[in-house]
Amino acid sequence: MRRDVRAKLVERRALSPDASLLEFESDFLANELRAGQFTMLRLPGDESLLLRRPYSFCDTDVAAGRFSLLVKEVGRGTRALARLVPGDEADCLGPLGSTFTMPPDGKRPVVVAGGVGIAPFVAFCRALSSAGKVAVVLLGGRTAHDLYLRDVFLALGMDVRCTTEDGSVGTRGRVTALLDEALDAETQLYSCGPTPMLLRVAELAAAKGVPHEVSLERRMGCGMGCCLGCVVYTSEYVRSCTEGPVFDASTVAWDRDPHPL
Amino acid sequence: MKPDLSVSFAGLRFRTPLIAASGTFGYGTEYLDVVDYEAIGGIAVKGLYLEPREGCPPPRIWETPSGMLNAIGLQEVGIQRFIDEKMPRLRELGTTVLVNICGSTLEEYQELAHILDSVDGVDAIEMNISCPNVHEGGILFGCDPVMAARVTEAVRSQTKLPIIPKLSPNVTDITVVARSVEAAGADAVSLINTMPAMAIDVESRRPRLANIVGGLSGPAIRPIAVRMVYQTARAVNIPIIGVGGITSHEDALEFILAGASAVQIGTMSFVDPSVWRRTLDGLEAYCERHDVEAISALTGGVVS
Repeated sequence: MRRDVRAKLVERRALSPDASLLEFESDFLANELRAGQFTMLRLPGDESLLLRRPYSFCDTDVAAGRFSLLVKEVGRGTRALARLVPGDEADCLGPLGSTFTMPPDGKRPVVVAGGVGIAPFVAFCRALSSAGKVAVVLLGGRTAHDLYLRDVFLALGMDVRCTTEDGSVGTRGRVTALLDEALDAETQLYSCGPTPMLLRVAELAAAKGVPHEVSLERRMGCGMGCCLGCVVYTSEYVRSCTEGPVFDASTVAWDRDPHPL
Repeated sequence: MKPDLSVSFAGLRFRTPLIAASGTFGYGTEYLDVVDYEAIGGIAVKGLYLEPREGCPPPRIWETPSGMLNAIGLQEVGIQRFIDEKMPRLRELGTTVLVNICGSTLEEYQELAHILDSVDGVDAIEMNISCPNVHEGGILFGCDPVMAARVTEAVRSQTKLPIIPKLSPNVTDITVVARSVEAAGADAVSLINTMPAMAIDVESRRPRLANIVGGLSGPAIRPIAVRMVYQTARAVNIPIIGVGGITSHEDALEFILAGASAVQIGTMSFVDPSVWRRTLDGLEAYCERHDVEAISALTGGVVS
């Protein structure tokens, strides 16, 4: 069941100079969304943009009837959304797309995320935490500013390890450097982030035979499976809005991905 | 008394004058949980070839001012899978079903028409002779009045279903093509398909679309489409389905007053699932306010 919900912004938290966590009110979406899913959002009355924009659900609070989105200002859509103040409303169509699956018993979850790719993993780690599981969460960014929501993962009891390219926090370098030692036959991997990172992550996971779910962000027109704008190649073009955004990484034909770098 | 919002033409009846444009509404059932289907009079399904097609590589879409560029390249399931897997649910929706067909050759259009002629639940054939994103067929048929007539005759010879060529705006004079397909046996025409267009990322210096050129849709092309419907209505005697950037009942009325018997909604359906109910309610309120008993009475009613 999906709906187009007019949701009120109730709280915003600046995470860095260009990223914020926006918390909206909607019992329906807070209840229905599952980790990995997304919403197609537009601002009522804003005629400057035509199409909706996809945002991963970041977190959900079922009891309070709230969900949150992580927004980094990168273009016109994200800038308009980031300007909202509490009391403003957004039309959110969802929940849409596929979900991360819980690791089977005996498998330890490892999460690896770059930048805003961390967004879907708050809800996922909350679900893991409820199930009594602890994930190794590998966060990477260019600088300390990019390591969003580290405190939230720590509060959820996750085993958080960080890298920054400038060495301002955690290990200096890229997040994939921490991945090698985190992966073994008893782990299941979950990833989201920039494509170059995901390529490296997918290679490592494949080399070690580790099951790997990846969330792929693509430019979307409708989010409902009709415009066919957001395709990813597996054995054919499939829709990242409907068959994805979470894919079994072993099915993705990375060499046919148009955004290698 | 409530105004009559149903429309009938070319042997077809639509419970409302609003039709889902081909390529924007999948195979008809994708929006079942979020759209009020009672407001939809007809569905033109995603264009079909004889065989499945992979489509263009991504990126396939890009937003432009009040518009959307796309080069999907007719990714589709092929006629047989459509009939086996999509048609059973489609025919239960209660809307009029237009099956949009595409081919690289006259023979392919002919065979598709022949197959569809006996498929239960198919009400009409919309002929895509105007897709800008395929390298053979498509727009090549639609830009040449002689070829447009030949493909229309070919389809005509294979089916008693109403046939509706969908015309390209990428011509010097759309009325020449419209007259040509009318003479070749078309029962109606739908216009316009997308405008060939392009956008470039100046930082990377690459085109925004992998296909380089795509088709422009959305409100940006609406005034062009209204003008072409107006001109076509004065040139042919067959009914016209107007399409191009409709977002509201006012937009739909522009097309109807310009000469359309029904309209299609495409890009806005991506944006707002409530566009169908909102537009239909707006048409009803307009008719009541203007003492119009039937929406069909407004067709061609522009005062000039």
